[in-house]
Amino acid sequence: MPDQERYCNRVELLQGTLDLLILRTLQWGAQHGHGIAQAIRSRSGDLLQIETGSLYPALHRLERQGWLASKWKISENNQRAKYYSLTAAGKKQLTSEHSKWQLFVTAISGVLNPAE
Amino acid sequence: MKRSMIHFFVRRFLRRTGAEEDLRAELQSHLELDIRQRKERGDSADSARQAALREFGNLGLVTEVTRDMWGFTWLEELVTDCHYTLRMLRKSVGLGMIVVFLLALGISTTTAIFTLLDGILLRPLPFPTSNQLVMIWEVPPETQKSNVVALDNFVAWKERSHSFQSMAAFFKLPMNLMDQRHQTEQVPGLAVTAEFFATLGTPPLLGRTFRSGEYWRDKPREVILSYRTWQSRFGANPDVIGKRISVDVTHLEIIGVMPPGFGFPNVEADLYTALPIDPKEGGRNFSVVGRLRRGVSVSAAKAEITAIAAHTAEENVAMNAGWNATVVPLLEQTVGNIRPVLLILFGATGLILLLVCSNVANLLLMHSAGRIREISVRLALGAGRSRIVRQLFTENLLLAISGGLMGIVTAVLLVSLMRHSLPESLHIPRLHDIALNRVVLTFAVGITAVSAVLFGLAPTLQALKRDLIRDLHAETRSVTSGRRIRNLLVVAEVALAVILVVASGLMVRSFTRLLHVNPGFHPEQVLTLQMFLLPVRDEQFHAEVVRSILTRVRALPGVVAAGSIGLLPMEDNSGTWYYRADQPEPAPSKRPAGDVSIITPGYFQALGIPILRGRDFDEHDRSGSMQVAILNQTAAQMFFPHDDPIGKRLKVWWNHSPAVEVVGVAGDIRHSQLNTPPDPCLFMPNDQQPFPFTSLVVRTSGDPVALTTAIRQCIREVDADQGVAKVETMTEIVGDSIARPRVESLVLTAFGLIAIIVACMGLYGVIAYSVTQRSREIGIRLALGATASHVFRSVVADGLRLTTVGLSLGLAGVSFLVRYLRSLLFEVRPSDPLTLCSVVGLIAATSLLACYWPARRAIRIDPAVTLREE
Repeated sequence: MPDQERYCNRVELLQGTLDLLILRTLQWGAQHGHGIAQAIRSRSGDLLQIETGSLYPALHRLERQGWLASKWKISENNQRAKYYSLTAAGKKQLTSEHSKWQLFVTAISGVLNPAE
Repeated sequence: MKRSMIHFFVRRFLRRTGAEEDLRAELQSHLELDIRQRKERGDSADSARQAALREFGNLGLVTEVTRDMWGFTWLEELVTDCHYTLRMLRKSVGLGMIVVFLLALGISTTTAIFTLLDGILLRPLPFPTSNQLVMIWEVPPETQKSNVVALDNFVAWKERSHSFQSMAAFFKLPMNLMDQRHQTEQVPGLAVTAEFFATLGTPPLLGRTFRSGEYWRDKPREVILSYRTWQSRFGANPDVIGKRISVDVTHLEIIGVMPPGFGFPNVEADLYTALPIDPKEGGRNFSVVGRLRRGVSVSAAKAEITAIAAHTAEENVAMNAGWNATVVPLLEQTVGNIRPVLLILFGATGLILLLVCSNVANLLLMHSAGRIREISVRLALGAGRSRIVRQLFTENLLLAISGGLMGIVTAVLLVSLMRHSLPESLHIPRLHDIALNRVVLTFAVGITAVSAVLFGLAPTLQALKRDLIRDLHAETRSVTSGRRIRNLLVVAEVALAVILVVASGLMVRSFTRLLHVNPGFHPEQVLTLQMFLLPVRDEQFHAEVVRSILTRVRALPGVVAAGSIGLLPMEDNSGTWYYRADQPEPAPSKRPAGDVSIITPGYFQALGIPILRGRDFDEHDRSGSMQVAILNQTAAQMFFPHDDPIGKRLKVWWNHSPAVEVVGVAGDIRHSQLNTPPDPCLFMPNDQQPFPFTSLVVRTSGDPVALTTAIRQCIREVDADQGVAKVETMTEIVGDSIARPRVESLVLTAFGLIAIIVACMGLYGVIAYSVTQRSREIGIRLALGATASHVFRSVVADGLRLTTVGLSLGLAGVSFLVRYLRSLLFEVRPSDPLTLCSVVGLIAATSLLACYWPARRAIRIDPAVTLREE
């Protein structure tokens, strides 16, 4: 049982990077798909460009898992857009994903830069 | 929580079109936002739109992968696939119908035979822990045959063995049951020792069974009824317990009623009476059933019984020298002789199913060849290969399900037909046990799925092996690939058909052989009445009863000759051993086995058996006069190979161990079965050796059945309490004795016929298709001066090449498989050249016929028309 859990975590950590980014971006408030892509792009210094073909499936999947909620709203420049926001479960998920990511980074850098 | 989830998904699915709309709007708004942003950065409207679209990527693809996240895609695709399939099928109704019909044919026959297999061979017998039940038999010297048991030996086994919880002996005999109107009828009865019911383990429905440990020596006055008798003769009245009824002119008290479905396998019984164990009873007459102790294996029990038999052989040399004993599981005993037939039939249906599958595969291959362009276009437009496979699979599944459903429905009909119309004379054990239960249904669903995979495999693989570019370039007419698979399938079909047709041919040959066997007597216009004579104190009275009945019968108008025999030919026989009085008595283990028949004068005339030497018995051969005997030809040859047997003396191991003088030699008859050669037989007159079983044999000048009432009246006049067990014509008896081979050869012939038709359909289909495919080529040939006969020959040659390969493969298969048929064959060797040649001829002729029409079509091709096409 513990073995299997460890295995799942590892896979999720590698696969769930986009999920983490989306959840983190939404921590500042509800946003539509385009806005989320923009935010990730600018915060990563244009390094991360999220393809629509990855973004929307991820959004729909996270919504189905109950971590996001969506609502049609009028944007600041008067356009209709579907806004996603974090649910309570989503917030919890973000915290756990975040700490897992920290763990991952520490682990990887430990391997890459071993202390002399 | 869970419920709201389900609710959510259901709503989601139902509102699928809404969700679809929503997604489209969402992606559209993404584009709009992007365009607006670019415009704000100073791009022109046009370039902003173009850049946004470029960055967005494939709108359709994004929609699809996002939609995949909803989780209902597979269901939706299934619905689409089904719709699509139905649409395709509607375009080719004929094909769909043929495929479904063929599948139904294969699945229904296989399922029906499996139902028999399940009900008869696989299901345990209807007794508690029935796998512990065994039969115990004696084994005569120098043989492996099971033989009925002497009571002494039964008692020895029972007292000395440790492998058995309990053991019981029983004896089947007709019983004279008198009803309230004082009409006596002989019903099948079973005399059983006290532990019989406890051994089988079935409790009575009402009352009790015999108390164990009772009934030694003294015959008890108790009887147990079968459920059927209780229903039909006693109106299912629960108050029958304690009532007295007259059985064999003795009043017996009803102590119990057995539940419905209870019965010793293969032994019909309406009444059960207690069998007293009389140590003076010397003959081997009894069957023995035993229940093994838990954990004791059949082989261990057999070893123990064999050891006991070795002891009893030493203790009672006269009776037991050389005799062994054996133990056979009850299920094996019950179904052993029908197992090979059922397995062969099951194998045959399996071959039919394979044949059907390859035929359907071929039909679908040819159909899908027409769809190669369609599939290529879909692949080119980006449909995933897995998606195409799923689509083809759905099509196959839909066909298989329709075929399977139709097959199961047909199987239900077939099974109820078998249950109700298979004649009693087939003696199929446990026929009433067959039913379409869950096991059978699972089997039917299983073979449906397997056939879907089998026939769906080739078309699917072919669809996937496409070279897109080539197929899209090519016109359908020149697509020739897949031809090899098609040819392979047809070859397989012919080979399978050959196997089945050879099997049915051999069976038919064997059956005609059986029909032409000379039984040694003339069964036509002979009526028989079987009786078990009422028990009497003085056995001479039995002789008197038979004599006076026969005198009356002979006086009836229309009677040509009348006599009687203890046990009728084809029904039963009794045997013992005898030896020449002028030679020393043979050692116990070297006794020659031979039949004994107790007859009256007139028996030989009534059955038309010739007296070859000496004389028949007559009215002077009475009790007190010189003991006489007649030998059949085989016995005469065996005992007196060089001398005239007339006037010689034999000693017979029979009641009172008489020394008899041979007065005649009668022609041989096949007494036990048509397919076994005559055994040596010694006849003795009933007047000198009265026998409780008697069967009147009456030859008539007109319809024998018409005399039934008159003959029954003669019997009643002699003894009003004497019932008759069975009235049959001799023709019926002989017919019944070969009823099984008749049905076997009929069923296998039907299978062979199906096989030939299906295989010819396949051959016709493939040849016709290749003619269509090659019409352009043929057109060119004809235009270039090929003669019609040349084209005709080339098409037919194509077909015959396939047939020849199939034939040789089939014959190879036959040589391998046919050994399993050997047990069913009579005087026909599995390699019977006549059968093999006729099958080759038949297959060649039918396949020629199958090629004829396509070839005719080929030579009618008008080059001008085909060349202008496309």
